Amino acid sequence: MSQLYDMRMQIEAKIKSSGLDAMDVKGKIGLRSGKLLAFITPTTPDDPATVAKLKAAAKEILNLSL
Amino acid sequence: MRWNSIRTKILAVLIACLIAGLAGILALMHYSFERNSQVLAGESVTGAQKLFAILEAREISKMMAASDILLADGQLRDALVARDRGRLAQLTAPLYVQLKREGITNWMFHTAPDMTVFLRVHNPPKFGDHLNRFLDQQVQKTQTPVTGNELAKAGFALRILRPVDAADGTVTGYVELGEELGQFIHTMKNQTGSDYALLLSKKYLDRQFWADSSAVWHRRDNWDDNPSFVIADKTASSDDILRFNGDLGAIAPQGTVLERFQRGNSVFVRGIFPIYDAAGHTVGAMFVVRDISGFYLAMRHTQNILVLVTIAALVVGMVLVLVLLNRLVFRRLQQIIRVATRLVGGDYESQIPVTSNDEVGELEQLFEQFRQVFVDLLRLSEKQLRA
Repeated sequence: MSQLYDMRMQIEAKIKSSGLDAMDVKGKIGLRSGKLLAFITPTTPDDPATVAKLKAAAKEILNLSL
Repeated sequence: MRWNSIRTKILAVLIACLIAGLAGILALMHYSFERNSQVLAGESVTGAQKLFAILEAREISKMMAASDILLADGQLRDALVARDRGRLAQLTAPLYVQLKREGITNWMFHTAPDMTVFLRVHNPPKFGDHLNRFLDQQVQKTQTPVTGNELAKAGFALRILRPVDAADGTVTGYVELGEELGQFIHTMKNQTGSDYALLLSKKYLDRQFWADSSAVWHRRDNWDDNPSFVIADKTASSDDILRFNGDLGAIAPQGTVLERFQRGNSVFVRGIFPIYDAAGHTVGAMFVVRDISGFYLAMRHTQNILVLVTIAALVVGMVLVLVLLNRLVFRRLQQIIRVATRLVGGDYESQIPVTSNDEVGELEQLFEQFRQVFVDLLRLSEKQLRA
């Protein structure tokens, strides 16, 4: 399982537990990181730049440290 | 509040307009007040000048009428022809009391042709001198009545001088009546409410006579108060509103406005106009001080109302502009952003409603079309990913 997919899972779990509007939050993270969360699968390769952007977006929008 | 948002920028521009508008109104009001107070001051000066001329004409008519009556009295004429000073003094003394009550304070008889003072009815012990003033020369030259202002060594008076004919038609002497010009300012004050002061040029006055007359009239010797003139009479209780540092001879014939100034809660304007003697010399000036507090307060009141109305109008205008912008632009842009964000988040159902055919409506329509294309691509990509 790729690191990106693991990050996606953590983000979705955080959204679910905090009761936020899932589409809205995932949309913001996707726009900020430049990567659609729906397109991250277990086989998605871990591009370091994308990993860094997704981490930053999750921290900024959800205050989630990945 | 986001400092880089269009809403903030527009608000800043509107606030700047509000401040500029208020500053403009205040500047306009200030200019208007300055201009109007100048006009009022100018009117006060020209009005006082006209009133002074009217009073002069009225008093000349009065003295001419009085002299007509006096000269119709054969006893007076006979006493002058006979050079009987005692008889003349006896006849004129009771009449002088009446004339003095009417403001005629100087009454003299001169003999012809030498123009010697035969009798000062207002000061009988003093006689036999030659005054040789401009009006004396004029009446001798023309042998007709002459009138005008004349500055003597100790005062300024409006005078009439006319020949007295003997029974054979020859001129036996002259009669002169005069009024102190200082008393005019009290009449002017009663009529206009403004304050006045009569200034006399020191050039035409005698220092010792001024000191002596001050003592006689129980007034303070003010010779040293000003370098080039003395204040002969004034209606104001205080001298400090009568300051004048200029040269009386340099005042324009139509008068001039000096300044606006404030004392306590009152606002005044002051001006000055020249007064000429019979020979045309600028021997004095009339100082005019007008209280414009009423006008000033009315202007302030109008200014306050105008400022309040302007602020209210601009605030209402600002609110309306912001509400309109919010409805027509910002709310619709936020809806596009919300739908676009949710689309990226996986919401393929939310659509952008096209609410109008204006500029933002065109963007809504374009974005909705783009959204539909993007949804098709996303669905296709997801299908390929799952495969």
